[in-house]
Amino acid sequence: MNENQENIEEPLKEKNVSFRDVQLATFNILEDFNYEKEILKDTQRALINILDDFNIEKNKVENINYRLLLKTKELNRSNTELQKAQSILESRVEERTAELRQTNIQLQTEMDERKRAEEDIKQLNKNLLKRAAELEASNKELESFSYTVSHDLRAPLRSINGFSQAVLEDYAGKLDEQGKIYLQNIRESSQLMASLIDDILSLSRVSRTELDIKKVNLSDTAVSIMEALKKTEPERQIKYIIIPKMEVYGDRNLLGVVLENLLGNAFKFTARCKHAQIEFGATESNGEKIFYVRDNGAGFDMMYVDKLFKPFQRLHSVDEFPGTGVGLASVQRIINRHGGKVWAEGEIDKGVTIYFTLNMEG
Amino acid sequence: MVQKTILLVDDNPNDVFLTTRALKKSNIANEIVIAHNGLEALDYLFGKGEYAGRDLNQMPVVVLLDLKMPKMDGKEVLDRIRKNPLTKLLPVVILTASREDIDVISCYKSGCNAYVCKPVDFDHFAEATKQLGLFWLVMNETPPVAKK
Repeated sequence: MNENQENIEEPLKEKNVSFRDVQLATFNILEDFNYEKEILKDTQRALINILDDFNIEKNKVENINYRLLLKTKELNRSNTELQKAQSILESRVEERTAELRQTNIQLQTEMDERKRAEEDIKQLNKNLLKRAAELEASNKELESFSYTVSHDLRAPLRSINGFSQAVLEDYAGKLDEQGKIYLQNIRESSQLMASLIDDILSLSRVSRTELDIKKVNLSDTAVSIMEALKKTEPERQIKYIIIPKMEVYGDRNLLGVVLENLLGNAFKFTARCKHAQIEFGATESNGEKIFYVRDNGAGFDMMYVDKLFKPFQRLHSVDEFPGTGVGLASVQRIINRHGGKVWAEGEIDKGVTIYFTLNMEG
Repeated sequence: MVQKTILLVDDNPNDVFLTTRALKKSNIANEIVIAHNGLEALDYLFGKGEYAGRDLNQMPVVVLLDLKMPKMDGKEVLDRIRKNPLTKLLPVVILTASREDIDVISCYKSGCNAYVCKPVDFDHFAEATKQLGLFWLVMNETPPVAKK
């Protein structure tokens, strides 16, 4: 220092600068220095302020960091949940896939079964077709049989009948009364056999003719049958009650045969009634329409009801009431072919009611 | 005068006997030509075989034709009659035992003039034959015989 002071004073002397000046200058410098110091202090303060501010920011950042951490944790949590959910979903998907696979297998089995069933049906159909063909063949056979019966059985009968008559005419003088009666019996029997043949034929025709289903007015048919019947025995007092407008679907011809037989029977078996009454109507039971033909004629014993619809079975002798025993058998076949049922109720001397249903749609 | 004949075609001798008997009983004294089967009937009508050289201007007033016959049945005879210009207008009555619809329909389709079912009872049979004979011999106007 001293050395420095000497160094400073030496040049001052040389340059003729007074100490005073130096002092003054020094003061100025000091003053400047103070000033600088103040500025430094200010700067320091400012720096402190900045540091303070920096702290605040730091806090903020820390805060944010903390929150970020929280968020991250949260996110992590969610992530785990998500993973859990995903694994659940995956297992579900697996489950469903397994189920689907199972269903698929079931479907496949079902399809296989269905295929088998289809094949079974095909086989059955084949068998059915075969049966149908067989039936058709036997039907054809029956038809030609009927034809033969119709033609060939009648011819000898005609001969029996005709030659008996020829004997009666040409040899009348050689025959006594008894002989003529015998020949007459031969003729009548041949005729009875002819009508039996006719009935067998009509019975077989009822079974083999194809149904032609149309709307049929049973009431109108019945009225015209009754009127025709009345004309055959105009002397008879007979009352008939027919409910109008009874309409059904069925084969007009065959249903006509049904009514001809039922009303014809009613007409026949009331022949001995003073006040014969024949009814044709319909009632309903369990939503099913039941038709009936009722008379107050000779009736029958319910003990024999089973025989009523069998062909060639009769509950009366031919002397009492004529007939071959085919009518109700034909009726039953026709009703059966119309998907219906037929049954009878009766009592001796109280009359008969024949009930029938029909089950055909147009 | 032209002789009015009836041609009876039937294979059953008993039926032939009874039919001719019934015709005679009805005082139908016309000549009855009998053919015992379808071929014989056609021979008569067209002048062939046994009937070669027969005067073909002489045609029966009516043919009474049975349906069921051996070899050639009545339906075929009818078809041949209708096919030939000489006999296509000839009155043909089917006289048969068959009452089957199928026969009735096919015979009418083939152009028969009547279809009569032979009744078993002789009285009815005789009556039917008599009516037939009277109608075709007396009432009916026969078509002129076609030129050959």
